Amino acid sequence: MFAGLDLFQISTAMAAHAGRRQALTATNIANADTPGFRARTIDGFADLLQHAGSPALRQTRPGHLSSSGTTGQAKSHDAGGQAAPNGNTVSLEREMVNAARALQEQARALAIYRHGLSVLRLAGGR
Amino acid sequence: MAGFSDSLRVAASGMDAQAQRLRYLAENIANVETPGYRRKTVSFVEEVGRGAPRGAVRPGPLRLDPAELERIHDPSHPLADDDGYYRGSNVNLLIEIADTREAGRSYDANLRMFEQLRQMSSALLELLRR
Repeated sequence: MFAGLDLFQISTAMAAHAGRRQALTATNIANADTPGFRARTIDGFADLLQHAGSPALRQTRPGHLSSSGTTGQAKSHDAGGQAAPNGNTVSLEREMVNAARALQEQARALAIYRHGLSVLRLAGGR
Repeated sequence: MAGFSDSLRVAASGMDAQAQRLRYLAENIANVETPGYRRKTVSFVEEVGRGAPRGAVRPGPLRLDPAELERIHDPSHPLADDDGYYRGSNVNLLIEIADTREAGRSYDANLRMFEQLRQMSSALLELLRR
């Protein structure tokens, strides 16, 4: 289970993903009334992990390209949806749902991380 | 963590912009009876440069509504012309109230986002505690 500490890597990536999603949602909501603004979103973390199923490129330096989903970042894309007369595609309702989802995702990731940590502590006899 | 503080600034810029819009709306509503007053409108643009985080918003330049001023018949009014008409304001209270509602709703959304971002970053900091 703790070989290579995959659990921690994945939960860290999940928390980072939640943070990015929340950042995009904050941008969308701040621009809810900006003419011509198009809402952006990113794929869920599960999709990201699935795409990372193939063997990852080996990274020997931080500057190297990464192909792995656990360390790579999800690309944001246009969220689509009906545009208002001023060309704005932000839907406050959709953004609220996204924000709730991000919060939930982050809470789950942190819970997994904390639990893993307490198991490690227990194994360490502290 | 840097991502969170940037997002907090973005949410704060959204609140700032909406508050500015609410201020102009308040001016319009206060001046609905002022002769010759043109309603003020403001549009939002994306903030660029000056160390602003990506996606921040700011109110654009102030614009005056070029719509026709209302002609009001009141011969006893000091500003009345020979026909007994004077120019009122072009503020439509119905539009202003609807706009106020919308601005308030957007402000609320930004505020809620701000609180949620703070909640997330403090949850992250909780990890440091035992």
